[in-house]
Amino acid sequence: MSTGRTISTSGVSTSRRDAWTLGASIAVHVIVLGWGALTFAARPLTSDTSPMPIDIISVSEFTELTAGSRNAPKAQPAKPVAEQLGAPKPPDDPAAKVAKTEVHAATDKAAELPEPKPPTPEKKQADPQRDLIAEAIKKDLAKPEPKKAEQKSEPKKAEAKPEKKVEPKVEPKTPPKKDQPKFDPRQVEALLDKRTPQRLAATGDVVNSNVGIGAPNASSNQLSLSEIDAFRRHLRNCWNPPAGAPTNKRIVVPITIRLKMDRTLAAQPEVEMRATDAYSLAMVESARRAIIACQPYTMFSLPKYEIWKELSIDFDPVEMFGG
Amino acid sequence: MRSLELTLSRRRLLAGAAGLSFAAGAAGLWSHVRAAPRITITEGNMQPMPIALPDFLGGALPDPAMARGVTQIITSNLQRSGLFAPIDQAAYIEKITNIDQVRFPDWRQINAQALVTGTISRQPDGRLGARFRLWDVFAAQYLDGKEYSTPPDNWRRIAHMISDAIYERLTGEKGYFDSRIVFIDESGSKERRVKRLAIMDQDGANVHYLTRGDDLVLTPRFSPTSQEITYMSYNQGQPRVYLLNIESGQREVVGNFPNMTFSPRFAPDGQRVIMSLQQGGNANIFLMDLRSKATTRLTDTSAIDTAPSFSPDGSRICFESDRGGRQQIYVMGANGGPAQRISFSDGAYSTPVWSPRGDYIAFTKQAQGRFAIGIMKPDGSGERILTDGYHNEGPTFSPNGRVVMFFRDPGGSAGPSLFTVDVTGRNEQRVPSPSYASDPAWSPLLR
Repeated sequence: MSTGRTISTSGVSTSRRDAWTLGASIAVHVIVLGWGALTFAARPLTSDTSPMPIDIISVSEFTELTAGSRNAPKAQPAKPVAEQLGAPKPPDDPAAKVAKTEVHAATDKAAELPEPKPPTPEKKQADPQRDLIAEAIKKDLAKPEPKKAEQKSEPKKAEAKPEKKVEPKVEPKTPPKKDQPKFDPRQVEALLDKRTPQRLAATGDVVNSNVGIGAPNASSNQLSLSEIDAFRRHLRNCWNPPAGAPTNKRIVVPITIRLKMDRTLAAQPEVEMRATDAYSLAMVESARRAIIACQPYTMFSLPKYEIWKELSIDFDPVEMFGG
Repeated sequence: MRSLELTLSRRRLLAGAAGLSFAAGAAGLWSHVRAAPRITITEGNMQPMPIALPDFLGGALPDPAMARGVTQIITSNLQRSGLFAPIDQAAYIEKITNIDQVRFPDWRQINAQALVTGTISRQPDGRLGARFRLWDVFAAQYLDGKEYSTPPDNWRRIAHMISDAIYERLTGEKGYFDSRIVFIDESGSKERRVKRLAIMDQDGANVHYLTRGDDLVLTPRFSPTSQEITYMSYNQGQPRVYLLNIESGQREVVGNFPNMTFSPRFAPDGQRVIMSLQQGGNANIFLMDLRSKATTRLTDTSAIDTAPSFSPDGSRICFESDRGGRQQIYVMGANGGPAQRISFSDGAYSTPVWSPRGDYIAFTKQAQGRFAIGIMKPDGSGERILTDGYHNEGPTFSPNGRVVMFFRDPGGSAGPSLFTVDVTGRNEQRVPSPSYASDPAWSPLLR
C-alpha cells in the first residue's frame, strides 16, 4: 500500500511537470513551425528560368509602338563593364549639349544617325587603332606624296589640337574621294596592326564585372535562355537514351554536375536517384556517359562561373518515348 | 532537486530541439536560395551505340577458331538489333591480353562507348567455360560480367547468352538472342512445294527439321513454358491441331472435334490452347485445357472468328473476325463475352498477335492490293505500318517485344523468306534460312 501512495504523490508531481513541459513544448513548436510557415510562405516557389512574357498585338498596335514618341523618356543604358578604374571623365560641357542640339536640327540626314556625343580630348587620345592605321597609311604614302598625305590626314589634325572644340557641322564634310590615298593591294600588309596581341582591361569610373547590373531587365544572376538552350542542344547530341523504355513508367534521372572554370567536370557526376531496375540503371549510365562525353561546356561565359559551376540536370526522355 | 535537474535537462532538450529545428529550417532556406540551376533534357540522340568487341581470348580449346566464332556471333547479334554499332577490329589500339585490365583512353580514342572483353577455355571436366566483362569506356568503369559453362557442342548458345547480357545491361530490357524460331521450310517447285516443320536459332543457325514433309503443315506456335509447339496439319486429309514435343518428337492431336480445327495458339500459362473450330460456313473460337481436355466456347457468331491470341497477362484475347462485313481485329475478355472492335482503317486486318510486353498488337493489313505488317495499341490507337509490300504476312514478336518477325513472298516463281523489323520500323533484316521459309513463330527465351 505504501508503495501505492508513493506512486500517487509522485504521480501528481510528475503530472504537473509534464503539464508544464508539455506547454513549453507546444509553445516552442508553435513558434518554430509558425516561423517556418511564415518564412517559407514569404518565398513562393519560383521557376529557375524566368518566364518570357509574350504579348500578342495587332499590326496597327505594332506600327504605333515602333513609331516612337517625341516626349518619351530617355532610356538608361546598361552600366558598362569595367575591370579597373580609368581616368576620370571631365564633367559634361553644357555648351557641347547645345551644339549637339544644333546638329540634330541642322539636317534631316543627321536625325537618322545615332545621337552623336560631344567628343572629349581623352577619347580622341584613347583611340589608338584609328591613329595607327592613319599613321600606317601616312608612312606608306609618305614617299610618293608626302605633302598631300599630311594635309588630308583628318585624324592627325584632331590629335594635334585636342583642346579645340569640334564643330559638329564639320564632321559630315568628309574629304572628297579623289583626295583619299589610293588603295594598293600590294601594300595591304602595311595596314595591318602589327602590335603583339594583348588583352586590354576595360576601364570605368567604378569596377563593374557584371554585365547585367544597371540594365532595366537585368538577369545576370541566372543563365540566359540562349545559354540554357545551347547547353540543352549540346547535351542532347551526346545523350543516347537506352531503347528499352517501359511503356507505362516514366523515369527521370536527376544528376548534379560541378564544373571547373575551364568548363570541364570538376568531379564525377552525382546521380540523385537510386536505380531499382535494369532500365533505370541503363538510363543513369547513359546520362552519365553523355555528361562526360559532352565536356567542355563552352557555351557558358566566364563572368557567370558562380552560376554554372554547379548545375542540376534532369534527363527525362519524355519527348522520345512519351510520358 | 532531482525533479529540477530533470526539468532543466528537459528544458535543455527542448531548447536543443528548437535550436535544431531552427538550424534545419535555416539550412533548408539557405539551400533553397543557393539551389543550382536545374535544366531538363527531354530528348536525346538515339543512334546505334559504338561498341568494341575484341576477340575473346581462347586457351586450350579443341577448336582455336571457337573464340573468334563466339565474338563474331555476339557482334552479329548486337549489330542486327540495330541498337549497336560494333567498331571494326582494325581500328583497335589496345590488344587485350587480360580481360580484367583495360586502357580506357585507347578505346575512348576510337569513340567506343562500351567495350566487351572475354575469354573461353576448356575446363578440366571437358566442358567449355566462358567469361566476359562489359566496360563503360567514358565513365571508365566496370558494368557487368558473367561466367558460363556448357558442353562444347553448345558453344553458340554461350555467345547468344552473352549477347543477351550485354543487350540487357546497355538497353535496360531483356534480350532475345538466346531464342529459337519454328517455321515452315518450303522446298521444291511452286507446283510441288514440300512444306516441313523446322526449327532454328533466331539468327538462322542450327536448323533442324521436325516433320518429313509428308503432310502439309501450317501455323506452328511455341509454348510459352515448355519445349512444345502446336500447329495445324492436314494429316489423313483432315486439318487438325497437333501438339509436338520438340525434345522427344512425341505428337498428339489436340481434342477430338468432328470438323476442321485451325489457327491454334497457347495461353500464357502453357496449359491451354486456344483455336478455331469450323462449324458449317462459320468458325468460332474455343479454348481447350490440355490436361482435362475440357473445351470452352468463347465466341458464337455466324461469322469467321479466327487467329486468337492472348494478352501476356491472360486477361484478354484479340482475334480477327468478319462479323462486321470485312476482316477486322477485335478484343474480348479471356472468358469470351462481348468483343470490341479496335481496327477501323480502310483495308482488311488479320493474324493479330499480342506483344509479350503487352503494349502492342501486331497484324497483317491488306489494302489496295498490298500486304503490310503493322502494330497498334491494344485499344486500337497508334496504328503504325512497319513494312509494306507485295505480300507480307504472319507477324510474331521476339521474347522482349522489341522485334517483329514475318515472312515476305516477292511473288513470281520465288518463294517466301523470313524478315525481322523492329517496332520503330527502321531496322529491317533478312533472316537466313536454308530454303524458302514462311509462318515463323518466335520462342520465349531458352532456360
